[in-house]
Amino acid sequence: MKTFHKYVRIWLCLVRNSFKTQMSTSFASLGYLIGKFVRFGFFLFYLLAIFNRLPGLKGYSMPEIVLFFMTFNFVDVGGQFLFRGLYGVKSLIEEGDFDKILTQPASPLFRISVMGMDLLDLLTLFPILGVSVWAIMKLPYPVHAGDVALFLVLLINAMIIAFAFHVLIGALSVKTQELEGAIWVYRDVMTLGRFPINVYSEFIRGLFVTMVPVGVMITFPTRALLGHLSWPLAAYSFGIGAAFYFGSQLFWRKMLREYTSISS
Amino acid sequence: MHLKKYITLFWLSWQRQLEMRSEFMFERARSLAIMLSVYYLWSALLENQTSVLGYSRQDLLTYVLLMTLLRAWVLGCVTDRIPMEIAKGRLSELLLRPISHVGYWISQDLASKSLNIGFAVVEVSVFAWLVKAPLTMPTEVATWLWFGLATMFGMIMYFQLSYMLGVMGFWTAQSWGPRFCFEILLEFCAGAYFPIDVLPPAAQRALMALPFPYLIFAPSSIYLGRIHGGAIASCLLHQGVWIVVLSFGVSQIWKRGLRFYSAEGG
Repeated sequence: MKTFHKYVRIWLCLVRNSFKTQMSTSFASLGYLIGKFVRFGFFLFYLLAIFNRLPGLKGYSMPEIVLFFMTFNFVDVGGQFLFRGLYGVKSLIEEGDFDKILTQPASPLFRISVMGMDLLDLLTLFPILGVSVWAIMKLPYPVHAGDVALFLVLLINAMIIAFAFHVLIGALSVKTQELEGAIWVYRDVMTLGRFPINVYSEFIRGLFVTMVPVGVMITFPTRALLGHLSWPLAAYSFGIGAAFYFGSQLFWRKMLREYTSISS
Repeated sequence: MHLKKYITLFWLSWQRQLEMRSEFMFERARSLAIMLSVYYLWSALLENQTSVLGYSRQDLLTYVLLMTLLRAWVLGCVTDRIPMEIAKGRLSELLLRPISHVGYWISQDLASKSLNIGFAVVEVSVFAWLVKAPLTMPTEVATWLWFGLATMFGMIMYFQLSYMLGVMGFWTAQSWGPRFCFEILLEFCAGAYFPIDVLPPAAQRALMALPFPYLIFAPSSIYLGRIHGGAIASCLLHQGVWIVVLSFGVSQIWKRGLRFYSAEGG
C-alpha cells in the first residue's frame, strides 16, 4: 500500500510538471490541440461524406464504421496520454538524465512512461465520446451491457499492448540511441486500424492479429461492442496482451542490463 | 550566376541525409502506412462495384498511388527546420555567408525531394506490382506535360507556404504547434487522403478557393484526365496566381522577420 501511495505521489508530481511545461508553451500547445481536433473532424467529415453515399464497407454500416474509427481514437489518444514519456528515451540518454532516473528509488520504466503526460490530450476524448454515443444510437440494433463491458475490458487490453509497444521501442532506444523514430512508425501503423481489418489482404490481416496486433487492439474491441466477437477470439486477445506485456518487460530489463552510460 | 555554390549545398545536403538513414527510412515507412490504409479502403469499397463516387476502380486506385508519389514530391519539405535555426541563432551564420536564405533552403529542399522521389517511385512500383493494381496511364504526351507542370507549380507553392510558416520562428519559438495544425488542415484540403470531389459540392467550392487543392488534387485530376482543355488552363492559371501572391508574402514576411531578429542564442 505504501509503495502504491509513493507511485501515486510521483505520478501526480510528474503530471503537474508536465502540465506546467505545456502551459509555458501555450501557443504551441494550442496549435497542437486545434490540429488534433481538425484531424478528427476532417476524417469524420470525409467518412460521413463517403458512407452517406455508399451502402457500407465489408458488410459494416456507416455507424459501425464510425465506431471502428472511434475505437482507434480511444487507443491512439490513450497511448499518447499515458505513455508519451517513452517517446523521449533517446534525448534522456543523450542529455544524461537517464542515468539520473536510474539512480532514483522508483521504477525507471514507470518514471519515464508518465513523465510526458499530455493533459490536453484528454480534451480530445470529449468529441470522441460524443460521436461514439451518437454512432451507437444510430445502430439499427441495441447494444447490450455485456458487450459494452467486454469492449471496455478489451480496450484496457489494447492499452496494455500499446504500452508494450512503447516499452519495446524505448528499450531499442536504450540499446541503439537511434530508433526513436520507430515510435512514429508504430503510430502510423496503428492508423491502419481506423477501418476494420477485413478490408486488408489476407497476409496483412494475419500480421494484424499476431505480430502487429492492430486488429486485436482496435477491430476486436469494436466487434465486441457490436456483439460480433466470439469468446475464443476475446480469450485470444488477452493471450496476445499478456504475451506482449511480459515480452516487452523482459526485453526492457535485458536492454537495461546491457546499458552502459554514455553521456554523464 | 552563382549557381555552383547552391549545387554544392545540394550535394552536401544529399550526403547528410544518406548518413541519417534510419530517420529517412522511418519517414518512408510512415508514407507507406498511409498508402496501405487508403488503398485497401478504396479497394474494399470497390469490391463488388465497377465505380464509386464518380471514379472507376482503375482511376481511384491510381489516385491513391499517385497521391503517395505527390506526397513525397510536393509535401516533402525540410523548411520545418527554419524555426530551430532561428531559435538557436544558427541563422546569423547563414546570413553572413554570400548566399541567399531562400536559395539555401531551396537547395536543401531539392536534395530531400530528389531522395524522396526516387524511393517513392520504387515503393509505389513494387506495391502496384505486388497487388496487381490496375493503373491508369495517360496516352497523350500533352497530359504528361500538363501534369508535370502542375506538379512543379504545386512544389513551388508548398515550398512557399512551408517557408512562410518556418519564418514565423522570428516571432515565436513555438511555431511547431501552429505548423502541426496547418499541415493537418493542408493534407485534408489538398486531397492527400481522399479526392476532394467525393465531398458535397458546397465543401468542394469552399476548398477550391484555397491554394491547397492545387497541390495534389489538381495535378492528379490532370493525370487521370478528369479535367481537360480550359479546366487545365484554369488550374495552371490559379497555381500561377497563387505563386505570385505567395512570393509577395514570402518576401514581406522575411523582410519583417529579419528586422525583428535579435540573434538570440547565436
